[in-house]
Parts: sequence; C-alpha cells; structure tokens
Amino acid sequence: MEVFKADVAIVGAGGGGLRAAIAVAEADPTLKIALISKVLPMRSHTVAAEGGAAAVTRPEDSLDHHFNDTVGGGDWLCEQDVVEYFVAHAHEEMVQMEHWGCPWSRKEDGHANTRAFGGMKIERTWFAADKTGFHMLHTLFQTSIKYPSIKRFDEYFCCDLMVEDGRCQGVLAIEIATGEFTLIEAKAVIIATGGAGRVFRENTNGGIVTGDGMALAYRHGVPLRDMEFVQYHPTCMPRTGLLFTEACRGEGGLLLNKDGYRYLQDYGLGPPEDKPRNKFMELGPRDRLSQAFWHEQQKGRTIKGPFGSVVNLDLRHLGEAYLRERLPQIYELAEEFMGIDPAHECIPVVPGVHYTMGGILADGKTASSLPGLYSVGECSSVGIHGANRLGSNSLTELIVFGKVAGLEAVKFAKSVSISNPGAIQKQAEAAQARALGIVNKSGGTERLAVLRTEMAQSMEDGCGIYRLGTTMQATCDKIDELRQRYKNLKLEDKSKVYNTEWLLGIELGYLLEVAQSMVYSAINRKESRGSHQRLDGFEERDDANFLKHSLAYFDGDNAPRIEYGDVKITKSQPGKRAYGAAGVQADEERKKKGAANG
Amino acid sequence: MSNRRPYVRSMDGWWKRDPYFIRYMAREVSAVFVALYAIVLLFGLVRLGQGEAAFNGWLQYLKTPWMLVFHVIVLAVFCYHTWTWFNIMPKTMPIIFIGGKRLQPGTITGTGLAASVIACLAVLFIVRGMS
Amino acid sequence: MADTEKIIEIQVLRYRPEQDKEPVLQSYKVPFTDDMSVLQGLQYIKDYLDGTVSFRWSCRMAICGSCGMMIDGKPKLSCKTFLREYYPQGLKVEALAHLPIERDLVVGVEDFVTKLESIKPYIIPKEKRTLEQGEYLQTPQQRDMYEQFSSCINCMLCYAACPQYGLNPSFTGPGVLALMHRYNADSRDGGQAERLNSLGHADEGFWGCTAVGYCSEVCPKGVDPANAINQNKMNSAINYFTRFVTPGEADK
Repeated sequence: MEVFKADVAIVGAGGGGLRAAIAVAEADPTLKIALISKVLPMRSHTVAAEGGAAAVTRPEDSLDHHFNDTVGGGDWLCEQDVVEYFVAHAHEEMVQMEHWGCPWSRKEDGHANTRAFGGMKIERTWFAADKTGFHMLHTLFQTSIKYPSIKRFDEYFCCDLMVEDGRCQGVLAIEIATGEFTLIEAKAVIIATGGAGRVFRENTNGGIVTGDGMALAYRHGVPLRDMEFVQYHPTCMPRTGLLFTEACRGEGGLLLNKDGYRYLQDYGLGPPEDKPRNKFMELGPRDRLSQAFWHEQQKGRTIKGPFGSVVNLDLRHLGEAYLRERLPQIYELAEEFMGIDPAHECIPVVPGVHYTMGGILADGKTASSLPGLYSVGECSSVGIHGANRLGSNSLTELIVFGKVAGLEAVKFAKSVSISNPGAIQKQAEAAQARALGIVNKSGGTERLAVLRTEMAQSMEDGCGIYRLGTTMQATCDKIDELRQRYKNLKLEDKSKVYNTEWLLGIELGYLLEVAQSMVYSAINRKESRGSHQRLDGFEERDDANFLKHSLAYFDGDNAPRIEYGDVKITKSQPGKRAYGAAGVQADEERKKKGAANG
Repeated sequence: MSNRRPYVRSMDGWWKRDPYFIRYMAREVSAVFVALYAIVLLFGLVRLGQGEAAFNGWLQYLKTPWMLVFHVIVLAVFCYHTWTWFNIMPKTMPIIFIGGKRLQPGTITGTGLAASVIACLAVLFIVRGMS
Repeated sequence: MADTEKIIEIQVLRYRPEQDKEPVLQSYKVPFTDDMSVLQGLQYIKDYLDGTVSFRWSCRMAICGSCGMMIDGKPKLSCKTFLREYYPQGLKVEALAHLPIERDLVVGVEDFVTKLESIKPYIIPKEKRTLEQGEYLQTPQQRDMYEQFSSCINCMLCYAACPQYGLNPSFTGPGVLALMHRYNADSRDGGQAERLNSLGHADEGFWGCTAVGYCSEVCPKGVDPANAINQNKMNSAINYFTRFVTPGEADK
C-alpha cells in the first residue's frame, strides 16, 4: 500500500475543501497538504449552486440584520455566537474571492452588485449571473494551483478515517483509476465532502452528493447534529429535480397556482405587491414556500403535469434580454430540458430536496468532538443554519469556515506528531479488507439500484415536507431492513480500473447510515420547527422541550442513539417567526420590547 | 504494477469522420486554387514584360475552352473560399462593443461578405468603363 | 412527455483494460420516455442491465462537465442530449475522441489538467490591493471582455472536436487556451506576458490552431475557444518578437 505523509489532509475539493487548502498553504507554505477528492475538483457539487453568496454590503444594511434574518430563518435553532462570527466575516471573504478573480456581476460604477434573496431583509447576495457556485468553485480551484504545497489526489475515493490514540491521524483512499489503496497519514483531517441529498428521490443534487464524510465521521463516534432538517427547495424541475434558483424570484419571478393566483398570500407571506419586496411573498424562506405548495396540492389548486402536481414559476414579465443577462442558465435549462421559452411561458416547478442543514457536529471553529478532525460546508453542522437555511448563506459558509477550518487544522497539526504509524498501517489494512470485501464477496443477491431506489422512495415518504409519526416509523423500519439487506449486496463488476459499481456500493453504505440518522432524529423531534413539520399532534414549535439540537450517535448495526444538546443563544431570544406584513409587525413589536427593556 | 492500460485510438482518416471536417478540408483545398490562379496572373505579368504580342498571346490563351472551364471552376471555388474566410473572421477578432452593445459574429461576417461583393462590382464596373 | 415507454438500442463502446485488447461495441435495449437524456439511458443500463459499464457523471444539468462523450460521432454532454432525438434508429456512444480511453466511456484527463496547471490560471494582479481596500473596480463591459471565456466547464468536448489536438497532443488545445485568454483579458490582471512566455510558441501554443473552428461549434457553454485562440495569435507574435528586442525579458 502506498503511503503519503501529509500535515493536513482535506477530504473533498469543493468550495469548502479548496478554501481550507488555500488557507493552510497561505498560513504555512512548509506544511504538506493532501487534497483528496473522488472527482476532479471542478466537478464538485459547489459547481451547481446558482443564486449567490450573502454578505452585508449596502450602506443601509447591518450585521445585525443579517444575524436576525439567519437566526429567525433558522427558527432559533442556530448557534448564535457562530452566526455572529459568520456575518462579521462574510464581506471580507467576498472581497477575497474578488481579488482571486471571481467574476462577480457588477454595477455600472464597477462595484460588485447584490441581489435580493428569500428571507433576507436587504439585498446582500453577491452573484455571478446565475452561476455563482460554478464561478466560485473554478476561481478557487484555479487559484489553488498557485500553491505548490497543495498535493491533489484527484479521483481518489475516501473509504475510511484512521483514528489512533483517540485522534484522527489520516485517511484511507482508493485510487479510482487503478483500484489500489493509498494511506494518507495526516496530523489533522478536514472533511469537506458536502451533503447527502441523494438519500432522497427527487433532489437537486449531483450523483456524488452521497454523505460520504458524514458517514465516515459518524462511524467513528462523532455525532451527526440536526439531521432531521432537510431543505426542500420550492422551485425544481419536475421528475429530474434540477434547480431553478431562488434568484428567479429575487429578480421578480412569481409563483402561481392553476388559477394564475399568487397563492403565497394565503400562507402568511402577503400581501402581494407588484414589485418584489424582501421577506414578502416569493421572497419568503424556502421551508415556508415548500409548505405552501403542499397545502395548495391538498386543496387541489396545483396544476396536473405529466410527473405529478406542479405550480407555475412566471418570469415572463422580466423580458428575454433581462433574463438572458441575469438568469442565463435558467433560460438554458428551461429551453433545453423542458422545451420552454421562459420569456413567453411559465415554468412548471415542484419542491425538491436541496440541502441537509445538519451534519457532523462541529464547534464554532469547525472542530469535531474527535481531536484532529474538522469539518466544513454542507457535511458540517457548525451551527449557522438551524432548522432552515436561508438561500445564499451556504456559499458564504464555505469560504468563511473553509478558512477557519484551514487555520485551525494548521494550529493542531503543528502541535502534534503522528503517533504509532505501525498501528495506523494495521488499521489501514483492515479498512482495505472491508472495502475489498464489498466487491470480492460472493453469493450476494441484492441489486444495488433496487436498494437505493427503495431507500430514496421511503425517505421521501417519511421525511417529506410534512411528516407523520406513522410514516416516519415505516421509514425507520424500512431503512433498518435495507441496512440488513445491504450486507447481502451483489456487485457484477470485479475489476480494478474505474470500477464505478464498487464505489456506488460503498456510497450506498454511507447513504443508508446517513438516512437512518435523519429519520430517527426526525421521529424523535416531537414538534414542528423550520423544515421539520409534523401533522400528528406536534404542529407547533415547542421551545420548552425542543429548543435543542438533536445528536445522532452511530451504534453499529442498531438504530442510532439520539441525544440532545443545548442551543447557544447570545442576543436573540426565540420569537414568533413571521414574514410578509406579519413579519413587519413582529419586527416592530420586538423593537418596542427591546426599547422598553433597554 | 498498475492495471491501467489507456487505449489511444488511431487518427487515420480523421477528416472523413465528420462533415464539419470535410468542409474544413474543402476550405483548405480551396486555398490551393487561390494559389493556382495567382500563378496564372503571375504568368500574365511575365508575358506583359515580354512585350505586347506575348501579352496578347496570353490573353488569347485564356479564351480557349479549357481555360474558360478552368475560370468557371476557379470562380466557384473563390466564392466558397471567400464565404469561409468571412465566416471564420469573427473568430479572429477581439470582442468589440459599439454603443455599449456587443458586435455580433453574424454582423462581422455579413459586413465582410457585403464589402467583397461591392468591391467585385466596383472592379467590374471600372473594367467595363475602361474597355 | 410521459408517454408510453418505447425501446431504443444504445450501442456502447466498451473497453475493459483488464480483459479487452481493444474497444468493442456492446448493444443494450433500453426502455425510455421522451424526457430522458442519454445519461439517463446509460444509468438505466448500469442499474438494471449491466453494472460493469463505467462512465462519469454528476450534476445532470450541464455545469459540472463530467459526462462528455461521443454520441453518434459528435462530442456532446450526455445529460443534455435526449434519447428521443435518436429514435427509432438508435444511437452509438463512445469515449470522447482524441483522448486515451481508460475504461469504457472514461477518458484520461491528466493531460488536460497538467496543461491547465501550466498556464497560470489565476489572477496575477496588475496592482496589489489589500482586503481593506475592497474589491477592484470593474465595469460590466470590462467583465464582458472575459466572462464568456470564464464559462468553460472543462468538459473537454472541444478537445474531442479538435483534429490538431488529436494529431499532435502536445498542442495546448482549445479549452486551456481559452482559459488563458480569460485571465489575460481580465482588467484586474497583469500577467499576460508571463503566461505567453510560459507557453510554447510554435505548435504547442496558439499557432498549433488552424482555425478549424469545430471547438466553438461543440462547446455547450458558448465559450468560443476558437475566438480566444485566434485573437491571441497576434499577441503571441508580438510577444515573441519583443522578447528579442528586450533580451532581459526572454530569460524570465
């Protein structure tokens, strides 16, 4: 087995992993960085983010506004000290990206432009047309080439963490091109592997978004926090789940039911106005918009399409020229995938799974409970999204906390040395045998695609926009059963070079464990909060019992153990979460109360 | 020992694989005709230097049936060559803005083709006027 | 849309280096609906007919650049090419032309990545600026000068379309040269001379291009690499000669 000795190993080369790698390289060029990714870095799913990245920029905006939008948007399940750090460091990171060449869209005077986004009080979303994630990823990747200390392991699939002496000391990876294993010893490891949207059927995520890093940390005893909170994005393409960015609505797009009626006004988001107004109507938060779709469907006011119920996203009034400038990719997607010209026809849309708010438990400095292990991005739960993420906070999270993770890993790596390489080697050999066991095993009967399809369908049934105890229980049972059947997986491909079936097999193991942490966290949260909404007697938020983070602990073949952790509150006590006119009123009441108290 | 064994495919006959490549080759071949006709003209120039009789002989030769057929072919090939030349022209020019609007490739090609047609007509007109 | 299922024949060029001496075609019969992409057809094959077929894919929406392949001889992204266009006659999919086949539809990408790394694809600032000074000012029109070239998704369809690259793999090729121009044309950047110097001046650089133009035709993102290359031939020539005029520069 090949051995590579690194100071810092980073698993995942999307926005978070690349930003962390650059931070390490800049902090100390003598440190050796191993950047491991199962795809070429520019294929990472950051590439698909469309709308933009939030940072307080305009003179009328303030850090408090961004803080309040984020904490309220997360239904007060955010770590408030972490959110404070986040909003304070967002702008400088945007400027850093600009200096590295990110082609931000500009105002006529040459300054970066900002656009409106759901749940945000002031326009603070930096954007590069509607390909923001793409441009950020390529900018970071191309910039990373400048640093010789970053040694990339492109198309290396991470299959385990090396944990020795109570701390993380490296990873084991498969070189996909040869099927051979490489042990990467490292004094600190950063996980930046992204989300796990692929546990669901209809989702906006790429095929690679399979919760790898979450499952790896989880297996080694690090809890997954708040996994029941799964974001449904309200405007996705029927059947494929491809995303139509929230920027469609930020630019003035409308949501219409079958009567051409702006139905969001019936769900506490109105009144409707001609011009888009922040935190009103279509610019409400994603959880509320997806829930409104569900209600419309119940009332029979959605449109029947070939792939089920849809509503219309209306961009026609924006005109072709403006759409081509601001939303070129959306235009292309509608034209090429659906044969629709959005300047002249409405786009049919449905909610689809988009983002996992929860993830690997991390403190405000990205450190997990396992020394030497850090996490950043969608795989991580650093605590800024709470029960519902606001659009355009996640791209910012990548770069703000990517840098933090890099710097923290540097500090840790410099304080330790690799202990007991012999034991690590033994661990690696055992992990290699486990990974090979999946492909070399004979006598299996279960087909990969069948298990995956059953999982995805069951997760959609049990952990949808609205949830019931009975269906969640059915999903718990189903996932338990699938984990058993997974042991009997049958793979056809026994080769070594680019054996993608083998990797899919390992990924399915990750997916099932992450799915299990989600549904067990969900069934145990007996309240409704943010994206976790129940209809079986727990319709209200219950701060007395559930102003708590769920923590799912891995327990071998058994279901996870669910525990609860405190929520850090600094300056925003839980209040009524309201949007539209009701939101304005709630804000005023808070202000009055604040003035009376202060 | 690596199990990799990358397979490199042959490029033999590559230009027949795609109609786009055939058109490209036709464009390149049409340049040969341009060169051929330049030789014909050069020959005329040499004849002119040798005196009036020699030049008239050259002119007479151009009027033979074979040379007329040759001219028709060359004219057709020249038209094709001109068209391909202006077609590729936008690819060779930097991005140009006029009044804040980007100059479209079609406009560049169209302008080029129009200019060449006008130039041809002008030459024809002048030659007619002289004779 | 979701009409009754039809069956289409997909021929896949297989190459398994551990067992095949050379690539062979294998045929699959795939049920499909009109909304299905070629990628979805291949996924159906992998899921239900033959788990050993290998190909790269991820985003499904033409932005990650993974799924380029030859579809009936044309370089295309399989996620945005639809099976219905090939019905009823069927279609043939092969690994991207001009690139070495690693396995089935998977091609070697090292050459592309190494070339990309070699051209300094990052801002070399014209004037340094601290974070406190804020962003560089850049008007929308200045942005338009390079934005199109920055839209390259590295899918390498242009390499499969470029016979010059096929004939001479040391040619830097359309995509990477377009990305080089992306930085040269950026108003914040002052690294043009440095980049041109790092590039081979003969067939490896801009002059390896004979303006076939097919690269721009097949680009799924409207990057127009042929334009990036051909407007640089002049820059490249000027740079070449100025190096002799100012000998100190040539050694850099």
